[in-house]
Amino acid sequence: MTALRAANLAVEAGEVHLLMGENGAGKSTLAKIVAGMLAPDGGEMRFRDAPVRFRNPAEAAAGGIAMVHQESLLAPHLSVAENIFLGREERLPLGWVPRREIVERARRLIAQHRFPLQAEWRVGKLSPAGKQMVEICRAIEQGSSLLIFDEPTSSLTASETQEVFRIVRELRARQVGVIYITHRLEELRAVGDRVTVLRDGETVHSGTLAELSMERLIQHMVGREVTTLYRREPATPGDEMLRVTGLTRAPLLEGISFSLRAGEIVGLAGLIGAGRTELCRALFGIDRPDAGEVRIGGKVTRIRNPRDAVRAGLALIPEDRQRTGLATGLPVAYNMTMASLGRVSHLGFLSLGSERSLTSDQARRLRLRYDGPAQLARRLSGGNQQKVVIAKWLACGARVFLFDEPTKGIDVGAKVEVFETMDELARGGAAILMVSSELAELQSVADRILVMRQGRLAGELPHGASQEEILRLAAFQEAS
Amino acid sequence: MIQRLLPFATLAGLFVALAIASPHFLTGPNLSTVVRQTTVINIIALGMTLIIISGGIDLSVGSILAFGGFLGTWVLAQGTSIGASIALGIVAGSVCGLMNGLLITRLRVNPFIVTLGTMGIFRGVTLLISNGLPVHQIPPRFSVLGSGSDMFGIPLVLWILLVCAVMMHVVLEHTRLGRYAFAIGSNPDAAFYSGIPVAFDVTCVYAIAGALTGLSGMIEASRLMSGQPTAGQGYELQAIAAVVIGGGSLRGGEGSVLGTLVGAFIIGLLSDGSDLLGINPYWQQVIIGGVIILAVCLDELRKRRTVT
Repeated sequence: MTALRAANLAVEAGEVHLLMGENGAGKSTLAKIVAGMLAPDGGEMRFRDAPVRFRNPAEAAAGGIAMVHQESLLAPHLSVAENIFLGREERLPLGWVPRREIVERARRLIAQHRFPLQAEWRVGKLSPAGKQMVEICRAIEQGSSLLIFDEPTSSLTASETQEVFRIVRELRARQVGVIYITHRLEELRAVGDRVTVLRDGETVHSGTLAELSMERLIQHMVGREVTTLYRREPATPGDEMLRVTGLTRAPLLEGISFSLRAGEIVGLAGLIGAGRTELCRALFGIDRPDAGEVRIGGKVTRIRNPRDAVRAGLALIPEDRQRTGLATGLPVAYNMTMASLGRVSHLGFLSLGSERSLTSDQARRLRLRYDGPAQLARRLSGGNQQKVVIAKWLACGARVFLFDEPTKGIDVGAKVEVFETMDELARGGAAILMVSSELAELQSVADRILVMRQGRLAGELPHGASQEEILRLAAFQEAS
Repeated sequence: MIQRLLPFATLAGLFVALAIASPHFLTGPNLSTVVRQTTVINIIALGMTLIIISGGIDLSVGSILAFGGFLGTWVLAQGTSIGASIALGIVAGSVCGLMNGLLITRLRVNPFIVTLGTMGIFRGVTLLISNGLPVHQIPPRFSVLGSGSDMFGIPLVLWILLVCAVMMHVVLEHTRLGRYAFAIGSNPDAAFYSGIPVAFDVTCVYAIAGALTGLSGMIEASRLMSGQPTAGQGYELQAIAAVVIGGGSLRGGEGSVLGTLVGAFIIGLLSDGSDLLGINPYWQQVIIGGVIILAVCLDELRKRRTVT
């Protein structure tokens, strides 16, 4: 897979440079190359007017480049001070750690930048924002002159976000260069000086922020021509299959209401962290909602765990199929019948014959490419693994399907097959909710598109909505 | 495939080697001793296979064996019939297993820790109710269970083992419970997401293993003709070793009845062979320990090669 093709980026000292683009545009990949975490296949990198090539993050750190990660890479059981100096403690005989001195130096650093931290606190007890502060401290302490923030605010509250902005501005005032990765448009004006937009691994725009209107920026991000591999003919929807009213799970989901009808494929768009996966999990009984009502086929249904969900005819094709969708160490047949063993067994005893015929029927229906029902699921390609997960739910006769990023990590041909399967399901009378971060996908497959933003349903768009419209709903605050 | 057959080949090779090395090996009395000695561990190991496939472990089986064996022989000494006493031993074992299962699933504590705790609790309770003293006043007919004469040339305990093994094989390969055990052991999240009643099944798994351990407690008591509150110490490790040598994975999702039987007999033959050849018994422990590590190494190698 090529994540990055021809990306250019130039950052000056004392500047906050925004790196923007859709999910999968290559922002994180580019940042990781700069920080020495990935090796580039080609191209040149110059740092302080000298060509550099970092083989690992330690080399980049020694050179003065540090990265603040989306997910914290700290030792949770150690204190703030210990984490700041971890791996770079003064070398004393017997591996002795000068604890008091470390705490003293950490205190000075924290006071200097007015971080809301204390040197003795245990990192594991800090909020995500607190952990990021520790990472920032670490970077400053290393004497970094270029700091990379990878979506620093995706898991932060509004006031924590303001705190991060304050620190970013302060770093800028100290002539530190900052690369700030984001796909939240509203963050733009608050912190950025210049912006580089990536699309499909290429730099499509680079310039000062002041010269760029919001409209132009969105256009740069989504691009003009979107190649469509597949286009679904919308069908006339039938009876209401699923109605969700006021579903709430603080703080991730708030008052979600929508409905799905038979024969419909409804897209669910939103940025990372908008609560799309959380919505699927709550509907499927994995997380318990605080409030809200779910009706399936018109009947109020209480779903307290996945077992209830499966009984009610719900199916979840999870985002992370290796971790939660499949038992990869078991045969294909075992995986396919995992949710429907009741159908191939009598009084607890399995009928291996009917299991075999069920497996081969599903395999034929989904055009599964495999060696046979005894093949281990982990030997299949990503696309074929996804088909096994779908087959699992077909086998138990599910009627309402929640597809969470169904095409993640599978190749183009298999994607089209997954869409065809979804279309077939819908035409057979199933109702489908499809979470996707690929706007083009939603456009070509979904009959209508629900858009989530920060745990709420921000709006609904009809079939034929443009990517600009979707992105605007997904990314802007109500006010703008 | 060749390496999948390795445990069988090892067992066969060991058998042939011992037959050549010692004239006493291939005699009825010796073979029947091997069978009698390995049966107790073997039956425990069958339950352990189910547990390990489901991704768990049970360190308390040695203590459950003592608890079930003591309780069974105690009521036997009070005049209860032999059949009812054996049944009580089995029930006592399954109640212990049930407790393990409930603690693991309700408190969501790691099975290693739970059964490490109950290993002490069950042993302590057995010592408390027995006051540390074994039961001796057992009707002589009870010895039939452990040392009963041969039927069709095969010792009674081997028949019991075979029945248990067939039953466990059916559970694993032909019932929903067994299939769920594989699924839970292979990927507990995927199992839960598929609507499998994970907590219920895990509890069942421990209760079944407990019942088998209770039965082997009664067999052990019959062999010794006493209900020893200190019986079964260290058996948990032998049972786990049998499962692992037979191809079971402590990461769950892998294991078979046949493999476990082979694993237990390999251990049995190693110790019998060392006795026959006059090898220092201290060396036996070294050899068996080495075999365990070797078996797991070879298994890891096989998997690493096939994954790529």
